[in-house]
Formats: sequence, C-alpha cells, structure tokens
Amino acid sequence: MTGYLLEISQALMALALAPGLVGFVRWWKARLQGRRGAPPWLVYYDLRKLFGKEVVISKNASWLFRFTPYLVFSSTLAVTLLVPLIAAPLPFDRVGDLLLVVYLLLLGTFFLALAGLDPGTAFGGMGASREMTIAAIAEPTIALSIFGLAVGAGSTNLGRIVAQTLAHPGAAISPGHLLGFAALFIVMLAETGRLPVDNPSTHLELTMIHEAMTLEYSGRYLALIEWAAALRLLIFFSLLANMFAPWGVATTLTPVAVSVAVIALIAKLGALGLVVALLETRLAKLRLFRVPELLAVSFVLALLAVTSSFLLR
Amino acid sequence: MMLILFLVMISAYLLGAFAALLSGRGAVGRGLVSAGAAVGSAAGLALGVLVIASGFPLTFTSARLLPLTGVALRLDGLGAFFLVVVGLVGCAAAIYAFGYSAQYAGRYSLRLLGVMFNLLLLALSLQVMADNALTFLVLWEAMSLTAYWLVLTEHDQRGTVRAGVWYLAMTHAGFAALIAMFLLLSGAELTTSFASMRAGAALLSPGSRNVVFLLALFGFGAKSGIIPLHVWLPMAHPVAPSHVSALLSGVVIKMGIYGLVRVLLDLMGGGPAWWGGVVLGVGAVSALLGVLYALMEHDLKRLLAYHSVENIGIILIGIGAGLIFHSYGLMTLAALGFISGLYHTINHASFKGLLFLGAGSVLHATGTRNMEEMGGLIKRMPWTALFFLVGSVAISALPPLNGFVSEWLVFQSLLGGSNIPTPEVAVVMPIAVGILALTSGLAAACFVKAFGITFLAIPRSREAEHAHESPPSMLAGMALLAIACVALGLAPFVVVPALGRVLAGLGGLPDTHAVFSLNLSLVAPNNFASMSPTLVALGLLFLLGLVPLVMLIFRVNRRWRVSDSWGCGRAGQTSRMEYTATAFAEPLRRVFAELYRPTKELSIDFHPDSKYFVQSIEYRSEITPWFEKVLYGPLLWFIRFVASLVRRLQSGSVHIYLFYIFVVLLILLLIARWS
Amino acid sequence: MNEHDAVFAQLATLGASLVLLFGIALLWRRSLRAYTKAFQWQSLVLSGMFVLVGYFGHDPQLYLMAVFFFVLKVLVIPWYLARLQRQVGGERESQPYVNIATSLITSGVLVLLAYIITRPVVRVSALPTRGGLPLAVGLIFVGLFVTITRRKALTQVVGFLVLENGIAMLAVLGTYGIPLIIELGVFLDVLMGFLVMQVFVYHIHGTFESIDVDQLDQLKH
Repeated sequence: MTGYLLEISQALMALALAPGLVGFVRWWKARLQGRRGAPPWLVYYDLRKLFGKEVVISKNASWLFRFTPYLVFSSTLAVTLLVPLIAAPLPFDRVGDLLLVVYLLLLGTFFLALAGLDPGTAFGGMGASREMTIAAIAEPTIALSIFGLAVGAGSTNLGRIVAQTLAHPGAAISPGHLLGFAALFIVMLAETGRLPVDNPSTHLELTMIHEAMTLEYSGRYLALIEWAAALRLLIFFSLLANMFAPWGVATTLTPVAVSVAVIALIAKLGALGLVVALLETRLAKLRLFRVPELLAVSFVLALLAVTSSFLLR
Repeated sequence: MMLILFLVMISAYLLGAFAALLSGRGAVGRGLVSAGAAVGSAAGLALGVLVIASGFPLTFTSARLLPLTGVALRLDGLGAFFLVVVGLVGCAAAIYAFGYSAQYAGRYSLRLLGVMFNLLLLALSLQVMADNALTFLVLWEAMSLTAYWLVLTEHDQRGTVRAGVWYLAMTHAGFAALIAMFLLLSGAELTTSFASMRAGAALLSPGSRNVVFLLALFGFGAKSGIIPLHVWLPMAHPVAPSHVSALLSGVVIKMGIYGLVRVLLDLMGGGPAWWGGVVLGVGAVSALLGVLYALMEHDLKRLLAYHSVENIGIILIGIGAGLIFHSYGLMTLAALGFISGLYHTINHASFKGLLFLGAGSVLHATGTRNMEEMGGLIKRMPWTALFFLVGSVAISALPPLNGFVSEWLVFQSLLGGSNIPTPEVAVVMPIAVGILALTSGLAAACFVKAFGITFLAIPRSREAEHAHESPPSMLAGMALLAIACVALGLAPFVVVPALGRVLAGLGGLPDTHAVFSLNLSLVAPNNFASMSPTLVALGLLFLLGLVPLVMLIFRVNRRWRVSDSWGCGRAGQTSRMEYTATAFAEPLRRVFAELYRPTKELSIDFHPDSKYFVQSIEYRSEITPWFEKVLYGPLLWFIRFVASLVRRLQSGSVHIYLFYIFVVLLILLLIARWS
Repeated sequence: MNEHDAVFAQLATLGASLVLLFGIALLWRRSLRAYTKAFQWQSLVLSGMFVLVGYFGHDPQLYLMAVFFFVLKVLVIPWYLARLQRQVGGERESQPYVNIATSLITSGVLVLLAYIITRPVVRVSALPTRGGLPLAVGLIFVGLFVTITRRKALTQVVGFLVLENGIAMLAVLGTYGIPLIIELGVFLDVLMGFLVMQVFVYHIHGTFESIDVDQLDQLKH
C-alpha cells in the first residue's frame, strides 16, 4: 500500500518539479550568457496563463488535433509512474520495463507528429517530418543502451537495474557504463529537443523542430503539451541519473530514506540541468543534416558500451 | 465436433466457389460468395482454436477420404495456429469483399474473382494440414496459381500483367527449390509421411542437411518476400483487389514462415548455429531495407507491401534467434524466440490485413493509390480513418496494441543473447537489436506519413474532396481486424502460453506454457523482464479520463473557437501549401542517400523576357532500384540468352515437335532399361 | 585477482577506451585543426597510459618513454602539423570517400571485429591490461580506415599517426613496453616517416595547388 502511495506521490512530485526544471535550465543559461534571465518559476505562471486562455483551433483540424494533447500528457505521465525517481523497486515495476518507457514516449511523439500535420500548414509538416526523422535514428542508440544496462543487470526492469548498480558500485566506472551514459546523454539532447539538435528557445520558422509541430496549439492544449515536454526532460534526466548513478534512491520505505532520495533527486536534476545549460551556452545548433552524424556518434558509443560489457565477461 | 467443423469449412469454401461459378454478379451472388468464404474461414478459425485448446492433433485417414491419391492430412498445433491466421484474415476479407467487389461488376470477371478467392482460402486452409510432401507441394502450387489469377483480376491496368509474370516466375523458382528439398528429405519418395521424414532427417549427412536448409530458405523465402527475393512483392500485392491484397500480405506470405518453421524446426529438428545466424541476418536486412524502401513510396498500397517485407524480416529475426538458441540447447530462450516470431506472424496478419482493407476503402473512395492526391479523408471517412489509425499504431509497435507486444518479445529474446557461450555468435544479438530498433523507429515515421498525408489536413485533389465513407460490409471487415489488433495486444497472457503449447515438442522444445504466464503480466524466462500491456492500456485510459476531469475541477478555461491556420500573414491557405509525402520523407532520403542514390532533375522555364520570372519548375527525383539493377539485371540477361538458344529448336512445324517427343521418349526408355 | 590488479584493469580499460574514443572522434570532425586537436588529446591520454602501466607494472623505464612520447606526439608533431597547415592553407575534409555517419558506424563495426579477432589472445592472457588489447587493435583499424577514406594528404597523415598510436598502445598493454632501445627506434621511424610525408605534402601542394589526393590520378595522363 505504501508502495502505491509513494508511486502516486512520485508522479505528482514529477508533475510539480518539471516546469521548475525547465525554468531552472533557462535561468542558468541566461546567467551563463551574462543576462539576468527570467526567474525559474516563470514557467509555472506561463502554464497558469495558458490554462486560463481560450483555445483557437485551425478550421482544417480534426478530432485528432484535439485528442493529441491529452494523449501526449497522459502517456508521459504514465511513464513517471514507471521510472524509479525516488525509490526502487516500485510496485509498478512489474507493469513495465525500460523498453515500455521508451515506446510510451514514442507513442506521444507519434501522435504529436500527426497533430503537426493536421492543420495542413507547411510548418507543422516540417516539424513532424524532422521530429520523426530524429526520433527514428535515435532509436537504435536507446535500444543498445538498454541492452548494455540489461546485460549488466540481467533484466530490463528499471528497479532491477537500479538495485544491481547499487549492489556493485565498482561497475559504475566500468567503460561500458560510462560509454552507455555518454551515448544516452547525446540521445537525451536529441529526444528532448535541446541544443545542438533543436533550439528550445527559437521561433525562427526554418530552424524549429518541436516548436514547429506545436505551432497551431494554444490555450490549455498548449499548456498540456508544454507540461508534457517538461516532464519528458525530467524523465530523461532522472533516467540518466538513476540508471547510471543510483546513489540516494530509497531502497527501504522509511521516511528518512525517502526524504534523502528526494533531496538526492533534486540535486542530480540540478546538476544535469547545469550541464545542459553549460552545453547550450557553448554549442551552436547543428545543421539538420549533421544531426544524424551526431546520433551516429552516440550509436557507436552505445555499441562499444555493449561490446565491452558483453565480450569482456 | 472437429470433424464437423472441418467438413463445414471445406463445403462452405466449395459452395462459395460454386456459387461464384454459377453467378457471381448481383448482391445475391456476391453475398453467397462472401458468405461461403466467411463461413469457411470462421469454421477454420474455430477448428484451429479447438485444436490448440485441446492439445490433440487431428488426423484424417487419407485412404477413406481420397483413395489412391496419396493425400495425407493432419492438423497439429503449429498447423492449427496458422489455420487461425488464415481464418482471421480470411473472414474479414470475405466480409469486406461483399461491398468492395461491387465496383467490379461489369468491368472485370466477378466469377473468376469469386471462384479463385474461395479456392485460395481452401488451399491455404488445407496447406497447413498437409502431412506428406506430395500433398504439401500440390497445395502449394494450388495456392500459388489461385493467387496468380487473383493478382491478374484488374488485367487491363498498367503494370498488372508484369506484376503477375514476376510473381509467377519467382514463386515457381521457389517451388522448384521446394521440390528438390522434399526429394532430399524424403529420399525421393514424395508420399512419405512427415513423421517418417522426421526420423529420416536425423540420419542425413551434415552436407545434405545444409543443402536442405539452403533450399528451404530459398523456396520459402521466395514466397515470403525476403530480401533479395522480394522484388515481386511490391509489384504484385498492390495491383490485386484490396481484399485479396490483405489476404496475400496477411496470410499467403506467412505460408513461407510456416514452411520454414515446419521444415527447419519440426522435420529437421534444428541445426547448427549458422542456420539461425543466416535466418537472423536475412531477417535483419529485410526488416531494415523493407522499411527504408517503404518510406520512399507514395503509392499507399506499395508502401504497405514494402512493410510486409519489413515485418517478415522482424518475424525471421525472432525465428533466427530461436534457431541460434536451439543450437546451443538453450531451450526456453529458443521457445521465446519462436514464440515472438509466431506472435508477430498473427499480429502482422491482423494489422496488415486491416491496413490493406483501409487502403482499399481509400482507393474505393478516391479512385487513386497516390498519396499526394489525398488528404482530409478523416472528416469524410471517419470510421475508415479510425481503423487505419489503429492499424498504424499497431504496425509502428506502439503500446498498448499488438505490434508492441510481439516486438517486445523479439527484443527480449535477443537480449537473452548474453547466455550464448561463444561471444563471436553472441555479438550478433546487439547488432540485431540496433537494427530492429531502427526499423521500428522508421516504421513509426513511415506511418506518420501514411496516415498524416492520407487522412489529415486539406484534400489535395477533387476526388479526395468528394470522398465518401465505405458501405457497412467493408467497415465490418475492417472492424473485425481492428478488434483483433486490440485483443491480441491486450491478451498476451493468453496468446503466449497458447503459442508455448503449440511449439511444445517441435524439435525438442519444452512445453513452456507455464513459464511465461503470471496473471496479467508477461514475464520473460529467468525473470528477465516483465511487462503488462493490459495494465498499461488500463492506466492510459484511466489517465486519459482523469486529466480532463482534473482540468474540469480546477476550472480551466474551456472555451474554444475555430479559425484559420496561422501562416505568416499569407492571405488564404490552399492544399498546395501543405507538406507532401515526398517532402515528409526528404530528410530520411538525405540521411540514407548512400543507399537510395537518388537522381535529381531540375528544369526551370523562365519567362522569355526576364529570367527573374519563372514560368514553371519541374523537379524529378527517383531512387535507384538496386536489386532490379544489380541482381536481377544480369539474371534476366542470362535467361534471355538461354531462351534465344532454345528458340533455335523451335521451327513451328508440328512434325518436328512430334519428332522431339519421340526422340526424348526413346532416350528415356533406353536410360530406364540400363539404369 | 587482487584489489591492486582489479583497479589497474579497470583503469587500463578505461584509458584504452578513451584513446579509442579520440580516434573515433577524429572521424566526426571535418577541419584539419580538429583532426590535429583530437590526435593531440589522444596522445596525451596515451602518454598517461604509459605512466599508468609503469606505475602498476613497476617498470620505471616506462616513465621515460612517457616523456619521450609526450614530447614527440603531443608537442612536436602537432606543432609541425599546425605549421604545415598554415603553409598549405587550412583545407577542410568536406567530402570524404565514405560519408561521416557511415564512417562512424563502420568504425564501430571495425572495433567489434577487433574484439572477435583478439578473442583467443585475450582469453588465454592473464594480464590485468588484457581488456585494452581489442581496443588497441580497433584503434589500428580505425587509423587505417582514416588513411583509406580521407581525401586530403594531411588528414591521411593524421590517420597514419593514429595507427601508430594504436601500435604503441598495443605494445604497452600487451608487453608492458618493449625494450627502450627498440621503442626509441620506432619513435625515430615515426618521426622520419612523418618528415617524409611532410615533404610529399609540400610537393603535392606545389603541383596541384591543393592537397586533395584525388588529383594524383592526373599524373597518369
């Protein structure tokens, strides 16, 4: 019972933290670029504002356009129930594994791309086409990273992976682990639409990817999609943090362990957010057709990670 | 009970064919034809389910049924499973055919269509029961020939005859390989039963076992459309009537899979690891190239046909992994590999059948297969759009539908590769994982294109603007398969143990039906992973209800109004401003340019007075068809060369031909005398 | 395996992976400057590996080698490369024979092959450093691949140098360094080879106004 309660409060915490995380990255980025920057909690105000606004729907759009925000939000929220954010193993560990997490996120991307095509504007089509291209070629890296983790832990279930790394801390500095981390980090940049793949703050039509897809959305629909995007960032951050460096994750459900886990999670998210902000300050956006090369790098990293953990047994 | 079902099945098909022969026209005629096929397949489906559930094979004493012909029929678990596949798609296609074939009245022969459709179903249903080589081969040929006639239905359309010829040539090349294979297996005695073949196969020398493997791979592969034997498939499947395409892509190519499992696992009892490696490699290449070529297609049905190549590849990845594990004696993992392959077989049958029927409805409504002339159909054909969406989500392997479940199982069986003792072999597995993941990602991209361009946004042509929803019978056919997609996705805890039971005993596989089941979750062997699509679906539905409810409680602004799309201040929006299918696939075409080798042609007509005014721009881009060029080009040249030699024998005089016959007869008699 | 060896093994494999990664990073970049930079970093890590093996393998000679290696590969040769580049102009490797994504994936496959090829050796070896052997062989393959597929004479030179780094890594991991005198001879060879190539680059540039090796086929006519 406590497990299920924890599960639900974990999802609620993710919901609450996600906009703050996005705001935090933006704030750091502004600071690093010598600007004062908007406060991190601005994103919460934005969401409230959007929820209060009227929705404008393109006259070409169909029911799919109106259904998509709910699906994207729900599927992303469902993932937060599966990922061990603060404790492992959770009761829902049996419901889904790492592969399911990846494919649930892909489900959201699939419908978002369809919704991008629905209003019939060129921007939406462009965004959908690019998003699906990147999602497709990021997929092998993700699968191989999962493979690497699964071979080490003997399972693709998230709780088991966390437990395995906690039990054998030496494995965390093995080349397979580090290479896998690097590979998944690159993919995370691509999947959450960060630089150098996509510029989250651009509104220049020809360079947008994610923003172009959601261009026709407004009001509460946009709020749901933005919130889901923030959740997605949080999910990828916590996957990176807790799969590869699970220290702090609660293995017993005592109040002390759980509060330590919450603090550790926030600290890890903050650290990763800082790294991303640093990267976004240092790097320029890549040309679209150099993105596959970047993803090929991540693929090679993942392949080496798997082979080294596979062949050097 | 079973025997009654069997007789009902056969007589219904025959009655359907007979009704078509008398008169296939008119609502009553079409109704009888469809009813025959539907009842027949429903009976087949029931029979298959019964045999699997009871676990007892059904044997027919051939002598009593058809004396002196050497026909032997026996329905075991594996055959019953494929009978279910035939029944499922056959039933949906038959119901669909009632509405769909109405448009053929007066244009093409409904009589031929009805007869061949029923006979094809009959041949398919009996195929899986064949218990000796002769029966197997005769039915195989019957299946190929009826399918050939069905492909030729719209014989006056461009490309149909060419497609038919390619199909016939490839399928017969495969058939020749199969005859050779069975001759080797049965010691040149084609009426030997499978049971004695099974015993005999173990005594064959390793060399001839390898030859049997290669012949089987070629013969069954040509039927399934594995790369590089796939060229006929994207030609033949699109030109057939759509309910036939569904049957061809959903069921007929699966007979190749049936044959491979039957021969390699059951009759041969598995083989060395490299067999599995070859099957896995062929599967991986077919999966990846299939989806890559599908991405470049803008003909809706050809796109689907290329996806059949892809999915056959995925099935073969599962089966190849199973064979590899089998050769190392890792029986539970081997069972998992085969189960994932077979599961994907029935899944692909249901969603590809559904998608072909959906494409048929679109073709029915707009009269074109070219996606660039479609658009906006979701408003005019809401039900077709919904069913096509279900199929698209399923084929893209997205949870919680059936495609995801079987791909998850394939992934899990590949992940089991870490148990293989020799790392040189084990290393194949991560590569296959990478390829499989890329394939499923690209498939998702491809179906965003297929669904988005066809059904969403503004109509791109007058035909699309005036499209109409299909008649109820067509919708019913699609609905049946859509329900199958959902059910197969939500109930893996029923399907997987059933498949475990089907496979038990084949090639020494253990009965694993207890290993995989644990209330609602799927648990891979050794507790490697668990996943429950049922709970995921429930959770998603719950959240989909909860989110609006919470928004209601928090009194989120619920007003909305309809307005123009935003477009940088341009005056109006026309369909010419939309993204096209070509444009959608362009990034991927550039990423994989090394494979496609696209050719580009750009010609611009300037205004005669000033080159700053353009009158027209013409842009052509094509991808290089590698296989036709590199592989089949030299082969065709060689065949023509041989044919021109043979032509010298042809004089046109009847006397000469009689003379040839006489000489050959003499020679044969003389050889027979001294051998 | 005792604690000491376990740490050694982990660090050696990690270092070897890093060295290999710089070799692969080379494939991703286009400008000659980036090539030089990646090579420089790689050599730096490699000289660190000399120290590492020297420390754990109790072979003080290796410290000396690390110093030689550092001077030659991290200071002298990159400096020379930069000078060359200034003289012949900083041309970019914009159109290699095999495009970049494919090169990257090929290099991954090459490393995989290296694992398979070295498998028998690694299995019988009792060295704590054996985990790095396949990576060293992989690096040799990657270096060869760079020299084969890149068009510019200078990038080819870097490819050759990477290959040489691979051989050095193989030597230090496989035998804890060959006798000093032989190693010095090898260094000298590399230096000589490098100088000869440099002269070639000058001449190619002088003749064709470019260091695109493609144009060498004009000599036929």
